[in-house]
Amino acid sequence: MKQYVLRRVLLAVPTLVLVSIIVFSMMRLMPGDVVLRMVEGHAYAPTVEALRKELGMDRPAHVQYLDWVGRIVTRGDFGTSYWTKQPIFDEFIARFPVTVELAVLTILVSVLVGILIGIVSAVRQDTASDYIGRVFAILALSVPYFGLAVLVVVLPAIYFKWTPVYTYVALTVDPLQNLKIMMVPALVFGVTRAGPIMRIMRSALLEVLRQDYIRTAWSKGLPERAVVLRHALKNAMIPVITLVGLQTPLYIGGSVIMESIFRLPGVGLFFFEALTRLDYPVVQSVNLIVAAMVVGLNLLIDLTYAFLDPRIRYH
Amino acid sequence: MPSWTPASDTTSAAATAAVDGGAALHLERLPQTRTWYVDVWVQMLRRKPLGTTGAIIVAVMLAGAVLADVLTPYGFSETNLRERFIAMDGAHWLGTDQIGRDVLTRILYGARISLYVGFGAVTLGSLLATLLGIASAYFGGRLDLFVQRGVDAWMAFPGLLLLMTILSLLGPGVWNITLVLGVAFGIQNSRIVRGVVLSIKENTWIEGARAAGAGHLRVTIVHVLPNALPTIIVVATTGLSTVILTEASLSFLGLGVPPPYPTWGGMLSLAGLDHMYRAPWLAIWPAVALSLAVFGFNMLGDALRDLLDPRLKGG
Repeated sequence: MKQYVLRRVLLAVPTLVLVSIIVFSMMRLMPGDVVLRMVEGHAYAPTVEALRKELGMDRPAHVQYLDWVGRIVTRGDFGTSYWTKQPIFDEFIARFPVTVELAVLTILVSVLVGILIGIVSAVRQDTASDYIGRVFAILALSVPYFGLAVLVVVLPAIYFKWTPVYTYVALTVDPLQNLKIMMVPALVFGVTRAGPIMRIMRSALLEVLRQDYIRTAWSKGLPERAVVLRHALKNAMIPVITLVGLQTPLYIGGSVIMESIFRLPGVGLFFFEALTRLDYPVVQSVNLIVAAMVVGLNLLIDLTYAFLDPRIRYH
Repeated sequence: MPSWTPASDTTSAAATAAVDGGAALHLERLPQTRTWYVDVWVQMLRRKPLGTTGAIIVAVMLAGAVLADVLTPYGFSETNLRERFIAMDGAHWLGTDQIGRDVLTRILYGARISLYVGFGAVTLGSLLATLLGIASAYFGGRLDLFVQRGVDAWMAFPGLLLLMTILSLLGPGVWNITLVLGVAFGIQNSRIVRGVVLSIKENTWIEGARAAGAGHLRVTIVHVLPNALPTIIVVATTGLSTVILTEASLSFLGLGVPPPYPTWGGMLSLAGLDHMYRAPWLAIWPAVALSLAVFGFNMLGDALRDLLDPRLKGG
């Protein structure tokens, strides 16, 4: 096990290096001139040359890269925002809980809805409830979450005079009020993400329900509830968990849109505002931090599997 | 360890066995006069009502986009200040917006963008995925290792963040968004092509072709490619809805095709939110159009996948 963990961790290192190279070269080697746009769009410096010098971009690319990575690794220095002049990492950390909370609530909603409908659909295969469940999954897959979000903001405001709360309150200040604010975006995002979870839950459970040990459970005379929930569900959950893990980057990408619609001060809104203000140091650092987190998360998931299923270690 | 496959190995193997058995039996009874690509559509009509519905929606969308200038008497940016905020009437079937532009006209022209970008990006992406996937799997070794670490690094970025960054640097426009979405699609799906080619490569007839003196180019084009083709077609058709949805998200954020040209995502975007409170149809119709298109492509893609490559089922 120790050897396996070590190998997986070492394999993540080249990925991280490549991630940093992608971020770095995007800002410097792409056809659009970042510095020119920053000067023309928001006058961050009097001349292009002045800003280039200030950003250290007058030096050779490899020197810049090593300097950039060096600062991050040795001092945790991700640079400062050109708009607010604040350290980027501090701002990121301050906003991170909002995005995490939204992601966790969204995952909770989508998993609860998806698993419940998936179970009903599988257990009552080819009945009316199965068809309703499958139609729901198809609808959830088709309706874009930002379209639904716009409709949820607009339609109740017109017909019921109800609008989502826009003044954000932190979870630590007033938990109830915070949940009231977060529930609407989490419900919208979660329900549209429940489709794939429901589908995979249904097919995995159907598969498990046909296995011998389930027949044994039935023939012992166990009630349906015990057979499905205690015996079958556990084994059918593995692909569901894999899917949720795989979808995590989607929640971070989606947070850009959800946070801008519901005005939540999270990382997504931070990134989007930086992009519209051509604050490229922020764009660069947020990309890097988030990608590094995804690499870390994937590593964690792989290690969890190896822990749960010893066979994986020998592949 | 392949982290992209959602189902666990045991379940997918069992599903393959079950589905393969059924499909093989079914195909044996068919008259041998039809080629496979004609047969797929016959099978679709007979056995896949949802797939057929999807195909019809896609066909209607195609017709609407191609015939947009014939179908509607208005121009897509033709303003008429005396006819602002008309709900629905005989002259404007889906109403008009804040400067009197006909919503139906804009939806029809918007379908053009969705289809241009959708088909363009998927074609480009499938070519790239095929090239990368075949090269990586067929030649293996260091090339494979190198390419796969690159794919790993790319996949570490939450899709939307990276796409937003690149588009902000390149500037908006139909070609830029098609290019960016195509490259992203290609890199991601090269994994699936690689997986298929890895198993094709192990067949004895590949060895036979090599022994008969065929060069690598001939083996890959004449022997590997045709066998990977069903999978590539499936990847492309199921990917269409994702690409169309991503284009809409980017246009929603203002990073897609610039106004005055209409896009569905752009019509839904927050810039028009104030007008939507007054005229909810401005939010409803683009959302409906987008959902229908995604639904159509999803159902068509799913049905084609079931008919062409049952191994990919359940994703």
